[in-house]
Amino acid sequence: MPDVMTTSNLSETMKNWVELYADSLYSWTFHKTSNKETAEDLVQETFLAAVQSFEKYKGESNPKTWLFSILNHKIIDFYRKKSSNPITLENDNASVFFDNDEGWKDEKAPKDWQEDDASLLDNEDFNAVLQKCLDALPEKWSMSVKLKYLLGKDNEDICQELGITTTNFWQIVHRAKLQLRNCIENNWFNN
Amino acid sequence: MHILMLSCLKATELIEKRFHVKLSFKERLQLRMHLMMCEKCTRYEKQSAFLEKGIQNLANTHFHTENLDELKLKITKKLEDLNEK
Repeated sequence: MPDVMTTSNLSETMKNWVELYADSLYSWTFHKTSNKETAEDLVQETFLAAVQSFEKYKGESNPKTWLFSILNHKIIDFYRKKSSNPITLENDNASVFFDNDEGWKDEKAPKDWQEDDASLLDNEDFNAVLQKCLDALPEKWSMSVKLKYLLGKDNEDICQELGITTTNFWQIVHRAKLQLRNCIENNWFNN
Repeated sequence: MHILMLSCLKATELIEKRFHVKLSFKERLQLRMHLMMCEKCTRYEKQSAFLEKGIQNLANTHFHTENLDELKLKITKKLEDLNEK
């Protein structure tokens, strides 16, 4: 097959794919990284990588699935580069919430929220507060909370990618959750 | 300390762990005993489950409304450059 032919086919296919899939790739990445520039860069890199390894794609899977698998590797790489030092429990905040006997401190103990039913999750204002509280977490913690939701990644994979033990991972998620809960209580339920 | 007694710190750690993996028999027993006696951790459990749903809900909602035409153009252009080389 002449080269020109292949090239123009490939470029047509890619153009098509950009049209069809760039939106969902972008919104997924934006949610994983909370950053516009990063999301744009990673989506672009995904298409460039797709062209370069197009021979490996033999139409066996849905193009969208294939693009997402490239993208998810890029997202994990992005986080891995960011956390060049392993994730640790430095600044452990447990003592903020618990006393020396590991019981709740009175002022930090969960208060009655009263209206924490599912309908609240449709409330845009509430979701904005939740997003703000998530963004306010120390980077390494929010990373472990966010990575937890990466499609098809189970916890052991994440721990391996980030170079932490599973026990450490649970503790980090726990500390992040403590802080998140407290932030929501102060900014939503106490208002 | 009794073998079945958990501190609130340990109990809430188990609550978080349970969202994602099955606890061992001993852990389940310890947690159930603790929650029977501890109102604060019971409250935490309920609220944390709610937040879990909330985070997942945020991750699933694609509420971006940006116009991505510019990005698409940029990528298409890059891809063309790549092909010309």
